[in-house]
Amino acid sequence: MTDPALRKRRNYDENSLQNGSGINVDDYTDDTKKVNVSNLSPSKYSHLIGLSIVTIAGFFVTFYKIWYPAEVVFDEVHFGKFAGYYLRRTYFFDVHPPLAKMMLAAVGYMVGYDGHFEFDNIGDSYIENNVPYIALRALPASLNVFCIALMYSIMKESGYSVCTCFLTASLYLLDNAIVAQHRLIMLDSMLIFFMLATVYSYIRFRKVRHQEFSATWWAWLLATGVTMALTLSVKMVGLFLVAAIGICVIVDLWDLLDIKRGISIDHFIKHFYARALGLIAVPAFIYMFWFYVHFAILVESGPGDTFMSSAFQETLKNSAIKMKSLDIHYNDDIRLMHKDTEKYLHSHDLEYPLRYDDGRISSQGQQVTAITVPDDNSWWRIKPTKEISEDEPVPIIHGDIVQLEHVGTETILLTHDVASPLMSTNEEVTTVDLDERYNETLFQVLFDDHNNGDIWQTYMKAVRLVHMDTKVAIWTHPKNLPDWGLGHQEVNGNKNLMDKSNYWVATEIDGLNATEINLEKKKEIKTIPFIFKFVELLGRMLSHNSGLTKPHPYQSNAISWPLLSRGISYWSKDDTKEQIYMTGNVFGWYLSMVGTIIYTGAIIIDTICRRRDVAWIEEPLRRRLIQSAGFFILLWLLHYIPFFAMGRALFLHHYLPAAACNYLLLGAVFQYLFITSVDSPTSDLRRNQSALEEIHPVGPAHAQTSTQAQPTTKTYIIATIILALQFACFVFLSPLTYGSPGLSIDEVQRRKVFSGWDLQFAK
Amino acid sequence: MLAHKEAQKRDWKIVAALTVWAAYVRLWKIWQPSSVVFDEVHFGGFAAKYIRTRFFMDVHPPLAKMLIALVAKLSGFDGVFDFKDIGKDYIESDVPYVPIRVFCGICGLLVVPIAYLTMRGSGHSVAAGLVVALMVCYENGLIANNRLILLDPPLLFFTAATTLMWINFHNQKNKPFQFWWYTWLALTGLGLGLTVSCKWVGLFTIATIGVSTIKNLWDLWGDSRIPNVFVRHFLARAACLIALPVVVYMLMFGIHFHSLPNSGEGDGFMSPEFQQTLAGHSMADTPIDIAYGSNVYLRHVATRGGYLHSHPHDYLTGSKQQQVTLYPHRDNNNWWTIHKSTTNETVGIEYVKDNDIIRLIHRDTGKRLHSHEHRPPMTDLDYHNEVSAYGFPGFNGDANDFWRVEIIDHDKRDPESEDRLRTIHSRFRLIHVMSGCSLFSHSVKLPEWGFGQQEVTCIKSGKIPKTVWYIESTENSQLPDDTEKVNYNRPGFIGKFLELNKVMWDTNKGLTASHPYDSRPSSWPVLKRGINFWGKGDLGLHIYLLGNPLVFWGSTVAIFSYIAIKAVFLLLEKRGFQTDFGGLRKFYDESAGFFLMGWCFHYFPFFLMGRQLFLHHYMPALYFAILLFGVGFDLLTIRLVNRKRLIAAAAFVMCVIYVYRSFIPITYGEPWTKKDCEKAKWLPTWDFDCIQFRDDISAYYPDGKQPKLELMQEAIKSYFAPAESKEQAAAAIDAVNIISDGIVLAAQSDPVLKENPQQQVTDVDAQG
Repeated sequence: MTDPALRKRRNYDENSLQNGSGINVDDYTDDTKKVNVSNLSPSKYSHLIGLSIVTIAGFFVTFYKIWYPAEVVFDEVHFGKFAGYYLRRTYFFDVHPPLAKMMLAAVGYMVGYDGHFEFDNIGDSYIENNVPYIALRALPASLNVFCIALMYSIMKESGYSVCTCFLTASLYLLDNAIVAQHRLIMLDSMLIFFMLATVYSYIRFRKVRHQEFSATWWAWLLATGVTMALTLSVKMVGLFLVAAIGICVIVDLWDLLDIKRGISIDHFIKHFYARALGLIAVPAFIYMFWFYVHFAILVESGPGDTFMSSAFQETLKNSAIKMKSLDIHYNDDIRLMHKDTEKYLHSHDLEYPLRYDDGRISSQGQQVTAITVPDDNSWWRIKPTKEISEDEPVPIIHGDIVQLEHVGTETILLTHDVASPLMSTNEEVTTVDLDERYNETLFQVLFDDHNNGDIWQTYMKAVRLVHMDTKVAIWTHPKNLPDWGLGHQEVNGNKNLMDKSNYWVATEIDGLNATEINLEKKKEIKTIPFIFKFVELLGRMLSHNSGLTKPHPYQSNAISWPLLSRGISYWSKDDTKEQIYMTGNVFGWYLSMVGTIIYTGAIIIDTICRRRDVAWIEEPLRRRLIQSAGFFILLWLLHYIPFFAMGRALFLHHYLPAAACNYLLLGAVFQYLFITSVDSPTSDLRRNQSALEEIHPVGPAHAQTSTQAQPTTKTYIIATIILALQFACFVFLSPLTYGSPGLSIDEVQRRKVFSGWDLQFAK
Repeated sequence: MLAHKEAQKRDWKIVAALTVWAAYVRLWKIWQPSSVVFDEVHFGGFAAKYIRTRFFMDVHPPLAKMLIALVAKLSGFDGVFDFKDIGKDYIESDVPYVPIRVFCGICGLLVVPIAYLTMRGSGHSVAAGLVVALMVCYENGLIANNRLILLDPPLLFFTAATTLMWINFHNQKNKPFQFWWYTWLALTGLGLGLTVSCKWVGLFTIATIGVSTIKNLWDLWGDSRIPNVFVRHFLARAACLIALPVVVYMLMFGIHFHSLPNSGEGDGFMSPEFQQTLAGHSMADTPIDIAYGSNVYLRHVATRGGYLHSHPHDYLTGSKQQQVTLYPHRDNNNWWTIHKSTTNETVGIEYVKDNDIIRLIHRDTGKRLHSHEHRPPMTDLDYHNEVSAYGFPGFNGDANDFWRVEIIDHDKRDPESEDRLRTIHSRFRLIHVMSGCSLFSHSVKLPEWGFGQQEVTCIKSGKIPKTVWYIESTENSQLPDDTEKVNYNRPGFIGKFLELNKVMWDTNKGLTASHPYDSRPSSWPVLKRGINFWGKGDLGLHIYLLGNPLVFWGSTVAIFSYIAIKAVFLLLEKRGFQTDFGGLRKFYDESAGFFLMGWCFHYFPFFLMGRQLFLHHYMPALYFAILLFGVGFDLLTIRLVNRKRLIAAAAFVMCVIYVYRSFIPITYGEPWTKKDCEKAKWLPTWDFDCIQFRDDISAYYPDGKQPKLELMQEAIKSYFAPAESKEQAAAAIDAVNIISDGIVLAAQSDPVLKENPQQQVTDVDAQG
């Protein structure tokens, strides 16, 4: 690249620059010269051989000792358990979409596993518990083998030489982090497999762009959409892939819109609709389909119940909430539990002190507080404010205005415009004697949802109690009153009626045993439309995901990932001194970073030079660097940078999709540095009828010469050296990857490449 | 040329008029309220600290605070008043708060003429300039915020002035390397330095100018007609826009350090080395050698908690033995004597070496540093052991008094300090021999019985940083008088500067506690909620920071319209529809694009900040949004002749003033009625506290008559008369004229004024 001949001033065509802005494998505005494609791929067989070797090697590397350890490792705790829930058809809740877990469950189903094992702790034995764990692990492991083949194929389809393709796939294959992660029962293998399949399909789609609306064109477009949806159905991280493909499609459409292409608006809209169908409608449908299957399988009530709304829980068999729930009628005595803090509304025969410590003054009314364990002073009677029939019980419905009588002291709940003991912005809640200050004791009962009827029920309905006179909601918050309030939690009137923490749940009706009554009644299972279930689950997944902020001992910052300053201890066994420590191949990861830096530097220097009409990088090479390698770096950036903005606990394995993309980029940079020319063109340049009719190229049609990359001996030597170092590093770290053999203290110490690696048995 | 001179002359007249006018609007009743408002608590307090020359720590750079302090000092403030609470009275304590507020007010009001000049400098019409200037002038949020003792007025002033300088520089682009070119460039750099020395928000201004510069250079680089001067262009900009701001910024810290030579309440944030540079902290040189029998001060490294300390009070928990704590100040109870584990006698000088086993005896109480299987008072965890001082006369102690010295770090310039203890240079851990735990402290305070001092425990397998100690002072009578002495390496200016900036950064990041009136950036452009600045129930007055909704919403609409128009043009262009409207498009694109970039840079970075944010953080962005609105106004009225354009401007300004008047009471802290207040809550999320106001406006005037009623009406009448005659004269167009028109129109159109003459007086009073 330092060859002075490359720096010659040259006049390049403005037009080609503009068209080159798209991210695609190559892009020629004209193809008056028919190019014989078959002539350009003499290395067809060599590609086949390369692909076969790498795939077979991948099989052995991934499946090596897959039966070991025969114990639960790291997140197998979760995902093995979830697979079990599918097999038992028990409802559970997880922050990830269902596809990958259902795939694991399907494997389990096929080998006859019944899902009995709980996967409670890391280190629990599979053999003792009779779990077909090898079959379960075989799924991610096989997908990893396909990933390797896809890595090779992506490079091949992008027009890189056999040497580059082989090197890229081998580097990926010999990555300790990827091997460690992808042979265990976790989701990342599925994620990366679908991600690479999407990238592959999109590249294939781009290559047939001159045969627009042909069958192949449609096939690859739909394949892109489908695999994209599958990625998204594995983990939410798939959204980054959607963003990457989205950006490419927008750039592509933007180019098509160019008046110089001569495409009519109608034709452009046809293009637009095709992509909207293939990349939005179809994926959305597939994504929702998996959730449909998810709900169809999980029909029994289980550990996921409590994450969902009561209406949702009612759709599950044997739902606990349904067994506990009863209709509430006027003059029932109930307990009221605050939904957020799980404290019970309470009052007792003590009064607010006349003057608080900060000098403010109270009404000296009876205290109303909230307590953890309900007692006799936590019964509240619902009194009607309208005429009700005395013969039969009248249920309370949404919007009813009621009074709440404190049964223990025979007083009525009231709130008024006096500041509460702890918050001067909120109203004091107290009680008064029956029949006093009637207008200030009226509360409206408002439900959170109306999915299952308008009758107030215990457990099923959360309600706000809104004061009619001053428009505040009865509320409590985790702050305790001083000694005069016995340290109970403060209750006051919240002026923000829409506050999410305003809700109270009735838990018990005095004198009624819910279970007995419900056993007799045997309520039927309710159904709610799929779309409501889907939206509810999606919302809860998202909010729960962002709520995963609890620190974990092995979490790490996004900035530390490419530098590998810390790994994750997955599993260890004291007596044999064996351990699995998830960490990348140090050589490969650092080399990838170097590749990224070289790429960025080259592009920046070239851009600055071109501003002065100097082509620092030859045009065909530059185009490949921007369109193909640019796509890879976009993928890498989008799979990495967003993590910086995430507040949840992050782990090294979140970087694996980005690491895979980084290897692709490394391959492209290798070709640029050591082969310097490219196979071109890689696309089929023959235009089909539709394209010919519409496209009227303007400007001079420039003749495209086809070029062929010519690797030299030097290329092979360098590739071999890189591969050898990667292999050496892989083997060196492999005891930490496969969990065997056990290492002595000295050997562990030697493998502590960075001081941040907290390996077991190092002392 | 003549026309140009005429125009310039007219501009200066307008600027003068605008300044006087803005001074009236902004400084009106600046003495009220006569008590501490909102963040005056902090910034007034800092002024007092400068005057007392006591070191303090704040998350903002010093310039604006120093200016406030300077004004305070010149107006005779003695620094005794502590600005402790919102609502604390100034007059009782005789604080010269009016001059300080006037200073801040002047900074704020100068933005009005600057806005006009900025619009004119970008080539826009007089009408657009007036619209922008008066929108800034009548922005209730800016008024409320810029007349108080806060950092925002100087910040906004410097931001606006820097923008103006940059635009002036830009206008010189055809005359590079000449006097005015250099002047404006250097002034831009100076402005950047001053802005960022007020608040770090100035970095956003730097980003705005920086990106603009890069675009500028990119254009120059692509212009192959100028081959050799590019480097000169580059260097001139680098010197003025990078080097100069850095120098200014550092100079401000230099003045800051110079002004605060004495130790004060900010000491605790800084390292001991830094503290040595403050008077009142200077430690005498101390012998470097530590031998058995030496008395020592043991200082904890990781927290700024201070020295290992004990005093004759016992724990109320655990073993109930004598407390051992960490105490931040030098005190005789910090002295510990080092003894051998075997004997209390010391013969000659024997140095304490790495891995020696020692006992530490509290000099004044004679008890030994001790640890055992009891849980510490605050940290009730299995891997923490209590540390106490234990012993009584005649008792020789037990094995739980033994500690092993483990040197883990040392000053590289003193190799000896690796093998044996040396004052300051050796960093070591103390390992409890019996249980293997190490002496530890963390920033957990003991309750009242422990005097709120920091807890000391012995932790098993704790991480390194919080278990490291060093000896700060020592005395040993056996050492010869001429023994080698040591002291801290006092950091130079650069060291102090870097340390203080790092501490500021960390503290700033830590400001995450929620405040009842904090808000997220997404709510600012729509003016979802304001800030309760001040309220006095007994006076029935209340100040609430709320922007002028018309200005906020108008400027937000302008931003979105511009983006939409830009997008439409991009699409059209792609489809071959290309027109430049005779150069107009490029012209508008350039100024609007710059203002939009300014807005983006002063707004979007807040989304990334986790700390608590307030509505007034939007003020610099709002300024750019208003400028953008002015461009939009110019574009909309481009087809109108000058006179009609000015009428359109007047009509719009009229509306702005009308809205401004609706919120006068909460802007200046004026009387209001509960009913009117409730009516003014256009959005349900505006939570100014109407209950604070009285039911009836006359309740504010207990003696039955409002002050100087007649006098004011007289004044108003006499003011209006010439204005009307001027209107008839019509040909002369200047700012005063337009605004007077506005008042006449407003007075006629305002139904409230007609119905409620009593109201009229108070309102017009606010108006002029």
